[in-house]
Amino acid sequence: MRGRPNLFTRYEADAGIFPSNTQRVWFVIGLLAVAALPIWLPRDWMILIATAFIASVGVIGLNLITGYAGQVSLGHAFFLGIGAYAGAALGGVATDRVTGLGLDILIWLPAAGLAAGLVGAIIAPVAVRLRGLYLAFLTLGLVFLGEHIFREWDSVTGGPGIGREPAELSLLGWRFDLDGTIGGFDVTREQQIYWLGLVVLIFMGFMAKNLVRSRIGRAFAAIRDRDIAAEVMGIDLTRYKVLAFAVSSFYAGVAGALLFTVTGFVNTASFNLLLSINYIAMVVIGGAASIAGSIMGAAFLTLLPRMIDAAGDVLPFLEVGSQGILSTSQLERVIFGVLIIAFLIFEPMGLYGIWIRIRNYWKAWPFSY
Amino acid sequence: MTSTLERSGAGASALGVNSIPALLRSIAREEPDRVALREKEFGIWQETTYGGYWDLVQAAAMAMWSLGVRPGDKVAIQSENRIAWVVSDIAAAAIQAASVGLYATNPAAEVEYLLWHSEAKVLIAEDQEQVDKALAVKDSLPNLTKIIYVEPRGVRSYNDPMLMSWEVFLGLGRAALEESPRRVDELVDGIDPNEVGTLVYTSGTTGPPKGAMLSHNNMTWVAESGRKLIAGDAVPESVQYLSYLPLCHVFGRLYDLAGALAMRATVNFAESIETVVSDLTEIQPTYFPAPPRIWEKMHAGVQIRMADASPIKKILYKIFLSTGMKNADRLLATGSRGLWGSLTHALGDVLVYRALKKKIGMQRCLQAVSGSAPIAPEVLKFFMALGVPIYEGWGMTETTAVGTVTTRDEIELGTIGKPIDDVEVELAEDGEMLVRSPGIFLGYFKNPEATAETIDSEGWMHTGDVAEWTERGFLRIVDRKKDIIITAGGKNISPSEIENKLKVSPFIKEAMVIGDRRKFLTALIGIEFDTVANWALRKNITFTTYRDLSEKPQVRELIQKAVDTANEHFARVETIKKFALIPKELDHEEGELTATQKIKRRVLTDQFSDLIEEMYA
Repeated sequence: MRGRPNLFTRYEADAGIFPSNTQRVWFVIGLLAVAALPIWLPRDWMILIATAFIASVGVIGLNLITGYAGQVSLGHAFFLGIGAYAGAALGGVATDRVTGLGLDILIWLPAAGLAAGLVGAIIAPVAVRLRGLYLAFLTLGLVFLGEHIFREWDSVTGGPGIGREPAELSLLGWRFDLDGTIGGFDVTREQQIYWLGLVVLIFMGFMAKNLVRSRIGRAFAAIRDRDIAAEVMGIDLTRYKVLAFAVSSFYAGVAGALLFTVTGFVNTASFNLLLSINYIAMVVIGGAASIAGSIMGAAFLTLLPRMIDAAGDVLPFLEVGSQGILSTSQLERVIFGVLIIAFLIFEPMGLYGIWIRIRNYWKAWPFSY
Repeated sequence: MTSTLERSGAGASALGVNSIPALLRSIAREEPDRVALREKEFGIWQETTYGGYWDLVQAAAMAMWSLGVRPGDKVAIQSENRIAWVVSDIAAAAIQAASVGLYATNPAAEVEYLLWHSEAKVLIAEDQEQVDKALAVKDSLPNLTKIIYVEPRGVRSYNDPMLMSWEVFLGLGRAALEESPRRVDELVDGIDPNEVGTLVYTSGTTGPPKGAMLSHNNMTWVAESGRKLIAGDAVPESVQYLSYLPLCHVFGRLYDLAGALAMRATVNFAESIETVVSDLTEIQPTYFPAPPRIWEKMHAGVQIRMADASPIKKILYKIFLSTGMKNADRLLATGSRGLWGSLTHALGDVLVYRALKKKIGMQRCLQAVSGSAPIAPEVLKFFMALGVPIYEGWGMTETTAVGTVTTRDEIELGTIGKPIDDVEVELAEDGEMLVRSPGIFLGYFKNPEATAETIDSEGWMHTGDVAEWTERGFLRIVDRKKDIIITAGGKNISPSEIENKLKVSPFIKEAMVIGDRRKFLTALIGIEFDTVANWALRKNITFTTYRDLSEKPQVRELIQKAVDTANEHFARVETIKKFALIPKELDHEEGELTATQKIKRRVLTDQFSDLIEEMYA
């Protein structure tokens, strides 16, 4: 109710994404600020942040199945790969080596998601019978299976070491991947990709948010907390686990299809175990079972290398030329590992947990609880 | 009596209706879609509009009619506050019968007395617990014909012809309403405003409860006075109430039934007494009436949670509490905070007060009221410091809840203010306060002797409170006439004043001062379990039960300190020389407290006579 943010007369309001108008206003202001950033940002930063946007979509997908539904999946790289190649095959340009239909983004982007989602749904019934470590191993197997398929199916993937170009960012004839002018303003390729990534993230983010605050989301959480108890409450385990896999894979497919359009090149070796682990790390560092946390985690880990680079000028032990102990990429990996350990021990709810703590400090004011 | 009746006619005309049911009907016709009631169900506040409210009342009224309730009969209600309560009450009044409220905590023996004495024909019982009480005593109640239960859980399997569910009851009423759709309207139009509209049993710290007969006029007058008192002429468009004060008590009835209708407010029913704190933060009521006990508890709650807060928060709170207290003093002395005071208050509001008020549910409170017992000035000042405007009012069941009040501009701590419009107050020779107003009740039901003792031939109501006028023309209650202690030295002492000073400490829940015909004063003190437990935890004192905690020497020391602090305010003869800690929490169902949580002195004196004698040994 107006002026009484905690008085709910409808469930819709109780479960609303924004509890009050104040939050709605702040969200829009924040969004406008993020959308306005490319006007000043240097090009390389734009690309980096656009990558973070798209990675966020993938992390949200992994968070849906791992964070919300509690099914540990190491196979996210496999689904990202399916999305990437499905997108490339449908939206890419055909050459003498690889196929490509050159379709519109309106077709290939959902199709890439659907392809990954379909594979997810096919595999899910097997996964439904397994829990915990066994499920982790099964999904791990998918990654190796995928790596093999991607290497061998060169009419689609271009083959190992050669690769192919990803899908073209062409919407109803408009090319996002070329510089152009909108309403008299010159816009660069990077700016357009940035905005495209932002729009996709907002759309997919809200879809996920709506999913998790609905009956389906509550069923996921119930399964995560105790699957037997969930079943007793009348939740169809098979159905919801399959759904979790399919939706998660759909998100991975969409993210995968877009991810490599930013760099303009897809390599078969990209979709390895390390990529899966990277995504798990983003979930853990960002915060399990949180959409906002997924975005924080993706942004943090995507921007981390760049920040370490920037810190390289200051830190004396970093390698400059042949001097120093560590190279920046070595340091990056060390920090990466330390971060995962530190977050698991000290802040299992991730960056989102830190945010919640800061928020609660002010929310409880002037009390402490 | 005659003058009373004449003036009550004038009071009623301000609302332009003859009774509360007629008032509800007029609102339902003018604004049928305005939200009247909210009740929390499965986590959501479900709304009932004024139109729906009146429909429910009509159905319930016709159902009562079908069950044989006729003008002059009584309908008893034993329930916590809920929609069925207010609906039944207004429905009974609508068919010219009268409601009788029973506390949900009333044990079976009291239920038997109240139902027998009031000659109730129908009982609205909330749930299995209340149904069980009624069934246990029904054989001695020849008048009782039907028991309506609101919560079917546990009662479904009962096979007693007297039982009927609330839904069936309403269905019966709706069917009857279809047959004679004008009957309720006609009955409401025919209400004689000077007839009994409701029967309110006083909780009675001495003797069996007496049934005060309140007329329709009393209720409409109090509705209008209540509105004028707390809102003036500027009633906001949306007024939120939180209904948690027992509706069987006249204080609760004044706000949640009569006053709310006069302001066209939305009444939100608290889920239960345990959830009042969280309900408060959700509802953030526009007007909030509470007995001192609730204010004391809120005050103690803030202190405890602040003690656990982080250092920066603590420091800020300390700074702004002390400036707030200074501001409150200035406000009391001069009626305004002054320029510097307004500045510090504005700063404090941003940094501390606003957030604090939101936490305790007072953020949107335009006017708070304390009544039903004297409140400690320190507690009152605390809320003034936060910027919660708080009246202290005095009233009795027999004066239909209102009488005198301190207002925003006219405050003198420790007094009950000045008489409100239409109320005359005089002091008798022995200091007893006499009141005459349109709110004076009709008399005690079936008890003309007590009525004659209370209302004299000139219409003055003898309150039983001893009071005095202060220099500024405020009334100060000394004590209940019969509670005043005369020590062996012949000194008159008011125990409640000392008790209230003791209860300022967040660690003291109950206090009873003893000393009648004794050489010095002593006190029985009951600790506030929550706060003392919290304190003990922080001091690493382990304990098991209430009794165990009470008996800890450290706790005794803690209470001794509180007693010493309270003693500083009094002359030597009025100080507490010794005290004993009560080994159990006092309870209504065990007869130690009245339903309104007032101590029954005689019961306590008997029950803890060994503790008392020990102090004088």
